[in-house]
Amino acid sequence: MTLLEFRCQHAFANGFRLHIDFQLDHRFTALFGPSGAGKTTILSIIAGFLTPQQGYVRVGDTVLLDTQQRLRLPAARRAVGVVFQDALLFPHLNVEANLRYGQRYRKNQARSIAFERAVDVLEIGHLLARFPRNLSGGERQRVALGRALLSGPELLLMDEPMASLDAPLKTRILAYLEQIVAQWNVPTLYITHSQAEVRRAAQHVIVVQQGQLVTAGSPDEALGQPGPLGWGNDAGPTNLVRLDHTQSSTGGLIGWIGSQALSLPPQTPGSRLPSFVQFSPGDIIVCRRDIADVSARNHVRGRVCRLAPTDQAVFVAIDIGPVIWAEVTPAAARELELHPGMDVVCLVKTHSLKLID
Amino acid sequence: MYLLGALLSAEEWTALRLSFQVASCSAILGLPWAVAAGYWLARYRFPGKWLLEVLINLPLVLPPVVVGYLLLISFAPRGPMGTVLGWLGVRIVFTWWGAVLACVVVSFPLMVRAIRITFQGIDPRLETAAQSLGASPLRAFFTISLPLARHGLIASCVLGFARSLGEFGATIMIAGNIQGQTRTIPLAIYTAANQPDAMDRSWRLVVLAILLACAALVASEWLERRRPTDDAA
Repeated sequence: MTLLEFRCQHAFANGFRLHIDFQLDHRFTALFGPSGAGKTTILSIIAGFLTPQQGYVRVGDTVLLDTQQRLRLPAARRAVGVVFQDALLFPHLNVEANLRYGQRYRKNQARSIAFERAVDVLEIGHLLARFPRNLSGGERQRVALGRALLSGPELLLMDEPMASLDAPLKTRILAYLEQIVAQWNVPTLYITHSQAEVRRAAQHVIVVQQGQLVTAGSPDEALGQPGPLGWGNDAGPTNLVRLDHTQSSTGGLIGWIGSQALSLPPQTPGSRLPSFVQFSPGDIIVCRRDIADVSARNHVRGRVCRLAPTDQAVFVAIDIGPVIWAEVTPAAARELELHPGMDVVCLVKTHSLKLID
Repeated sequence: MYLLGALLSAEEWTALRLSFQVASCSAILGLPWAVAAGYWLARYRFPGKWLLEVLINLPLVLPPVVVGYLLLISFAPRGPMGTVLGWLGVRIVFTWWGAVLACVVVSFPLMVRAIRITFQGIDPRLETAAQSLGASPLRAFFTISLPLARHGLIASCVLGFARSLGEFGATIMIAGNIQGQTRTIPLAIYTAANQPDAMDRSWRLVVLAILLACAALVASEWLERRRPTDDAA
């Protein structure tokens, strides 16, 4: 049986229409789309904060909403944990009381999670007596995560929990999240408008735009569709590549993707060795053959697997071990005669690589 | 207290006690209703909301004597409310409970206003978060919004109490001016001032009234100033 079944139609007074059906089979699914796509609305419907004009929502074997049967479980009786964008910790309660709130009041806990264990995994033991106003942004999100988790939910919903945090902190929290999913096996629907976050953590991604489903599938598959490739700003395409291993040598930091070495930018002293590099498709120079006398330190060999033209650019999927995307102009794609199966070399400046631990 | 007792005559002492009694009861009895109205006005939009606001705020702008008159005709033994209360064997008119009723009605708009502003400053999504953790809407209100509003509730009580201490017009209409039963400080001052030989007695009461008003203002100011450093901020 699928973990979540969601069907819904809703028209807002401002003209926005949500019409979307999807199912969730994977433990860690991202709900991805640009701002205003209706992601938070979907979350509100699942959590019971909003009742759509027509809809059906089932989590596990519990039907939460069925407008045809006039069935609507109130939010308090849905075993759904929510982590909000701005944490929403209760300001008059200390961290421990915040964490225990759900344990205390939730009647239908789907799983029982040991308080001490959760506090350990999230590393918030030293914060228990503090009040939310004395926590940093990252600490707040960890406590919010613990609070939702400790209520014993059947499904965990996260509404861009990292939107307000800076980049290094984001990856730290994602690591906590991954641990939680691994440790307790809680199905998680993670809302984000960052392709890097999707690639980093999700097994499966549901892509939405303007209240409609665009595509769904594995991150590589779904994010390689023309829709997500063409989105600008935050929701735009990005490459996130897992490094097989990393070593520090006299010439600087080297990361390996299969047998190809990447020269990485220097790290801030004391930080952990990176396990991912992130770089933008626009930072790649695609060449037909390797060239010497060029300042770019990284010359990565690969094979073109697909071309995806969008309105302004051509995105080229290149298999370098994992598949990465390079962005070139239509004229460049024509002149280089790029086609699937062609061997190319990708040039990337060391300082275009962002390290992620 | 001993000093105060020596300074004041038995009658003045009774007026002071009565004032306290009436103002405290008025603030405490008015509070739950003010919380309900303040929360309702802060959180919900509904048709006819403006009418409710007008009704609540009316005593603020009406002459208290008019409020007292309306209360008198509805709570008089033959009046609509008086008849109902009569079946229960309760009489309000010309008792100190009448004074309490007058004070509740007159101070209600002020109490509602203080509470409404407090609730408007509390993120309603905190209750949403509480519900997502399994708390019913009622429980979410009592465990989250109400404790967060505690300073507003106290401020509202102080305000209601202070307004009730000064209540005159509505009180004299519905409760009369009965020595030992409904003669609060303002009524005692009025009575004293009408007797040509009692100027110094009315002065003592006037000073007493000023001191009480100052104490209430200082208390509310102190509560205001405490707020920003508190965790509710």
